[in-house]
Amino acid sequence: MADEQKPGGSEAPPPGKGEAAEQPKKPAADAAAKPAPPKPAAPAAPKPPPVMAATPWESDLARELKERFGDLVRETSTYLGQNFVVVKPEAAIPVLEYLKLDGDFDYLVDVTAVDWPKRAERFDLVYIVYSFSRNERMRVKTFIADGFRPETAVGVHLTANWLEREVFDMFGIEFAGHPDMRRILLPEEWQGYPLRKDYSIIQQDQAWVQANLNIESGQ
Amino acid sequence: MPDSTFLDSTELVLNMGPQHPSTHGVLRVILKLDGEKVLGTECVIGYLHRGVEKIAENRTYAQFNPYVDRMDYVAAVSNGLGYCLAIEKLLNVEAPPRAQAVRVILTELNRIASHLLWLGTHALDIGAITPVFYCLREREEALKIFEKYCGARLTTHAFRIGGLLYETYDGFEQEVRTFCDMFLPKVDEYEELLTNNRIWVGRLKNVGILNADECKEYGVTGPVLRASGVKWDLRKAQPYSGYEKYDFEIPTRRNGDTYDRYMVRMEEMRQAVRIMRQAVDGLPEGAIMGKVGKVIKPAMGEAYVSIEAPKGELGYYVVSDNSTQPYRVRVRPPSFVNLQALDRMVRGGLVADVVAVIGTLDIVLGEIDR
Amino acid sequence: MRNLLKKIFLVDLFQGLWVTFRYQHPRNIYTEQYPAERPKVAERYRGAPRLNINPDNGETLCIACNLCALACPEALIVVGSERNEATRRKELTTFTYDTSRCMFCGLCEDACPVDALELTQDFELATYTREGQIWDRQTLEEGPRPTPYKC
Repeated sequence: MADEQKPGGSEAPPPGKGEAAEQPKKPAADAAAKPAPPKPAAPAAPKPPPVMAATPWESDLARELKERFGDLVRETSTYLGQNFVVVKPEAAIPVLEYLKLDGDFDYLVDVTAVDWPKRAERFDLVYIVYSFSRNERMRVKTFIADGFRPETAVGVHLTANWLEREVFDMFGIEFAGHPDMRRILLPEEWQGYPLRKDYSIIQQDQAWVQANLNIESGQ
Repeated sequence: MPDSTFLDSTELVLNMGPQHPSTHGVLRVILKLDGEKVLGTECVIGYLHRGVEKIAENRTYAQFNPYVDRMDYVAAVSNGLGYCLAIEKLLNVEAPPRAQAVRVILTELNRIASHLLWLGTHALDIGAITPVFYCLREREEALKIFEKYCGARLTTHAFRIGGLLYETYDGFEQEVRTFCDMFLPKVDEYEELLTNNRIWVGRLKNVGILNADECKEYGVTGPVLRASGVKWDLRKAQPYSGYEKYDFEIPTRRNGDTYDRYMVRMEEMRQAVRIMRQAVDGLPEGAIMGKVGKVIKPAMGEAYVSIEAPKGELGYYVVSDNSTQPYRVRVRPPSFVNLQALDRMVRGGLVADVVAVIGTLDIVLGEIDR
Repeated sequence: MRNLLKKIFLVDLFQGLWVTFRYQHPRNIYTEQYPAERPKVAERYRGAPRLNINPDNGETLCIACNLCALACPEALIVVGSERNEATRRKELTTFTYDTSRCMFCGLCEDACPVDALELTQDFELATYTREGQIWDRQTLEEGPRPTPYKC
């Protein structure tokens, strides 16, 4: 059941969902930033695909970020009471650094990625940060294309080391300037990146399994 | 310690694990040694990798629930709680008060069970054989309550999204109270055995020091962070499941060494008993299942929910694409992040300290490798 | 002086031995004589699966609705059914349950609308072959037959 659920369950929604996830929200974010929204009619498409019903995030920090980084901050939103900012890939590390030094977000909780294969910028790269003094959590998201090498966050938060290695291991996102960019959970020679959506759940590196485990197949 | 001995030895590379008993599972640590002194370490993990996050993308929300128990199998109830809370957040529902109280009782009971297993094995690593028997004896009582409540001892699958499936059994409250009464003196008993024991103190004091800033830098959470003097506990900082109703302390210590982490965990067990007592006394009546449909289909969106697991901050980042299966489930495992600080903690120490530090980090490989 | 007497008469030793002997009371003995005496597991214990039959007429309770197979995370239940033309109802023909892949989460018994499938208190699931782990309808209804232990 597991293998056949896949196409029906998760593949059907993504067409257009990737773009939909950001586009209808973008005018809203832009509207907050600039007075003249370029395309206000965009969300009123005939059949709107499901989108994340995020609302703009109004706070001093969001304003500060927008002032400081301008266009590099694409969106500041909140969903279910959880705040996140979407920034351009090149701004991710400066934003993290700014948050750490000026916003006191001194604890990097997690680095992870989400794969949206149908979207031009294929991956969501998500940094979750927390501030002990504010008792506040937020996410810094950036959309990156396949093959793009984002800058590493190790220079800002040491803990990013293993977390980025895991992202590399599972998604194949290589971080530029990372001190030790190797696979962490899977064997070094493994082919393929399991958490990408085009990697089926029963797929595996047969050659590796046969060469190293002396069995025909791991299934 | 002199940098080179009169033998002018070269560096020695020593493999610890993956079948070493004191690495608590299949962790392999490659040690670079100069005599007894550790020059550097490298952790090789992934031997227990099962691709839990991939499995999640191919199961429905309810079906994935039993799998989370198999990550930190020592504290399965906490894992289940974190997952259920994350999905409840996405669905924007809340478990009814009775369900929340029962969840708190079982989670705290699990915290005790987890800490007991940690204490027993940690003491065993250091060379004290007796505590492990005592610890497992008391842990057994906790596991019996789990078995009676939900039918399994270890991988409990105790909670469901939206609340609970099982109503408490007859005599549940009484049994929890009996456990609390029985357990508190036992903590003192363990402390009698260990706290002032010269070997114990000698092996643990000033070993594997991690100060508060380093903890934050490495993202280390849980008892390790609290032993470094940071009074931070998610149960207080961002209460979930009704923890704001209970009165308890966050134990902290100053030095951030292995001994302090031991002391913090001992005190945490006492606080867990305190929470359980309050929860049992104020156990409300009422429904145990919230308004959740048979088919769980959250709206398009994402949420990150974290809880204070026995090992630290356990987070679930769930992305939903408005289908019955999660689009992405990311688990933020406390052990994985905490283990990263191992190198910082043992560098410059002795080989024997590595054992003590791994023990005190309280790692579970099922959670690290997922 | 008192300490000296204590030392001479080995008071500490006897105190220690007293602890040992105190736990010799049958009340304090924990050992379970397992194969000879089966331990009592909790009422809600999730062990070997069983397909319940109606005690009155010996017919299965299962209505072949396939809900358990859909609920199972490991997809290890296969329900075979056939439409009975006389009663115009679906009837169960085969039922296989792969205990080797089962993690005893209990989702199948939660899903069952007629309480036909149940995880019982039986915990002896070991077999000599992998095939023996796949239980058919007969095994599920009558229960497994483990090799009895001879004293």
